[in-house]
Amino acid sequence: MAQSKTQPKGHAKLRGNIGSWLIMLPGLLLMTFFVWEPLLESIQMSLYRTRNVELENFVGLDNFVSVIGKDDFLQALLNTFSYTLWSLVIGFVLPIFLAMIIGETTRAKGFFRTAVYLPNMLPGLAVIILWSAFFSGSESGVLNILLKRLGVPAQSYLTNSKWVIPIIISIATWKGAGATALIYMAGMAGISPELYEAAAIDGASVWKRVIHITLPAISKLAATLLILQIISVFQIMYEPMVLTKGGPDNASLSLMQLMWQYAFGGAMNYGKASAVAVIVTLILLVMTAIYSYFNRKESDWD
Amino acid sequence: MSKLSRTIALLLALCMLAGVSFAFAEEVIDADLTCTITLGNWPADTAPEAEKELFEGYRRTMAKQYPNVTLVPDYYSYTLSNYVPMAKGGTAPSIFQPPFTDPQLLISQNLVGDVTDALEEFGVLDQFSPSYMEMLSDDSGRIFGLPRDGYVLGMHINLQLFREAGLIDENGLPLYPKTLDELAEYGRIIREETGKAGLVFPASETYGGWLFTNIAWNFGCVGENALEYQDADGRWVCNFTSPECIAAMEYMRDLRWEYDILNVDATTTDWAGAHSLLGTGEAAMNFAADDSVDQPTANKGLPVEDFALIPFPAGPEGRYALAGGTCYMFAPDISYEQSIALMAYLKILGKLPFLDEDIIQGMRADYAAKRDRGAPVLPAISAWNDEAYNAAKQEIVDEFCNVDMRLYADFFDSISEGTITLKSEEPVFAQQLYRELTAVIQRVITKEGADIEKALRKAEESFQEYLDDEINDY
Repeated sequence: MAQSKTQPKGHAKLRGNIGSWLIMLPGLLLMTFFVWEPLLESIQMSLYRTRNVELENFVGLDNFVSVIGKDDFLQALLNTFSYTLWSLVIGFVLPIFLAMIIGETTRAKGFFRTAVYLPNMLPGLAVIILWSAFFSGSESGVLNILLKRLGVPAQSYLTNSKWVIPIIISIATWKGAGATALIYMAGMAGISPELYEAAAIDGASVWKRVIHITLPAISKLAATLLILQIISVFQIMYEPMVLTKGGPDNASLSLMQLMWQYAFGGAMNYGKASAVAVIVTLILLVMTAIYSYFNRKESDWD
Repeated sequence: MSKLSRTIALLLALCMLAGVSFAFAEEVIDADLTCTITLGNWPADTAPEAEKELFEGYRRTMAKQYPNVTLVPDYYSYTLSNYVPMAKGGTAPSIFQPPFTDPQLLISQNLVGDVTDALEEFGVLDQFSPSYMEMLSDDSGRIFGLPRDGYVLGMHINLQLFREAGLIDENGLPLYPKTLDELAEYGRIIREETGKAGLVFPASETYGGWLFTNIAWNFGCVGENALEYQDADGRWVCNFTSPECIAAMEYMRDLRWEYDILNVDATTTDWAGAHSLLGTGEAAMNFAADDSVDQPTANKGLPVEDFALIPFPAGPEGRYALAGGTCYMFAPDISYEQSIALMAYLKILGKLPFLDEDIIQGMRADYAAKRDRGAPVLPAISAWNDEAYNAAKQEIVDEFCNVDMRLYADFFDSISEGTITLKSEEPVFAQQLYRELTAVIQRVITKEGADIEKALRKAEESFQEYLDDEINDY
């Protein structure tokens, strides 16, 4: 009885929260129409034989079996993991390093902050076109011109299946590292200066201050950015699409690009394209779940 | 004013009124036709002034002849990926321009509108070139598109590099390759003498496979050895592992590893990139058609006097050249009135086989604009079997011609004299077929010891599965 007096029931509770619901309504509507509805429709489509975007008949998991059974899927899957791995090697540490360097800078800090962020302000396609001129394998390619001055003969870069993914990731990192560095800088700004002062008084070197103060302080932020980076890189598409068209011989084909090919690359098979999209979603869900599990365990230990 | 003067004035006024009425009657073709049509591929604000004025002229003429038809310009440029959602969502422009690779796919998917009755109304149904009819109709003979222009694949040549390599005769004409073997040999000479690529081969996405099919035909991949064919049961069969196809792919390998004549970034080069390389003097030859002669010249700065167009080189088993083009197609939901208005618009554009002063002026303006842009003005390969119409077009071309026709003569003669066999694209799911073959080409030109037969077999299995899914088991 006491509970029923203190907690409003049913419509009374709703009436009490109506203001909150109204505030949330636009967001909920947008989420419903632009996120949940397409997501559910994509899952539904992956289970159907399609005629352009119309569903024809239910085929169960046939689209998944057909897609997974093809060599280009395995290649795209391996490539996508390779993109992710290279992005961790090239793109994960660099923003932290940039943030530390700029954090330690005493003069023109604003200039350096702007400078590292500048590539992020350039349109993505412009960046790709810029770098494609740099990595062109012809003698007029910028890198080849530079190498020629050092007496090194012209090389092919984007047509070399071993180099193509690291090059694409380097380009993506060049564009995106500055923005991530700014987030790390904000995180580092929250570290108490007293900790550094105390460490300095104790005679700790810069390296020790980084290891024992900076990195532990940003570790949670880094973990969050890590999973966001993995999710983002796992969906890489326009960079290889514009730069290499997935070549040479599918060496840079990503899963999202494969999905695009099924839908728009001439096949016009939206059912199989949706199957690839669902597979990508499932992989990302699993990876996020693993991350959450370890993250929670770590919090428990803390 | 005397009575006589008044009478004369009245008569003159009546005559003028009659004249105006007559002129009006001549200009207005159908004042009752009332509808709205949206016109894709309208020149963008950044287009050359001459081009914009040309289309404004079409709009004025349309407004005079069909005063109650509203034209809505649309800058839409077709790609398969952007068109499908628009067609399904009811926002596709009334008219758009896909390449000839797509009509059958669009027709089979019910994504385009039927204009058969409108063509009947204009009396042009029986003047189509039969091969174009086949590409633009469904099984029951209903028409869903009109040819905009046709093209035949040949070869673009950068004469500056030919001159530099000494491949020029005493008349200043290029010593060009007439066979695929000569192509390899001449390409090597150019590479050695100039350091530039002998041949630019765009081996990305679907382009590589698209061009390769033409090479494969010349190696004998036609008839029973075709890259795809229907067996006795009516099933579509992929046939990439015939000795002819393997030989053609070995030729591709030799171009890269024996003769080394290809552009270095072949696997990332697309159609536009290939034209760019030829136009900027980075490559001497490019498999390309007569409808894209403006690309290396007007668009990339190669002077028209340094440019030539030659027939596709013959292979050991024949001399085929791909014939295709761009067509006009229509939104799936157009009404009969809209289809009539669209045919009227195409008539004004000179795309139907009709001749009147406006059309001739339109053609003249078109060729003048081409000449002013520095693009070669060449005779078009007509998609209509109307002799008077074709002769009139030729007369106008001659008036605006800005090139030495000796540099193009063999190309056009090979078509008119039938020394080259014109062939349309592979009949079903050509884009997917090209994609599979492009992957093989990429492997062959990037890995020296690539197992060609194995790569072709893999591609064959993949494309066969696609054929089974999409047609055979449908």
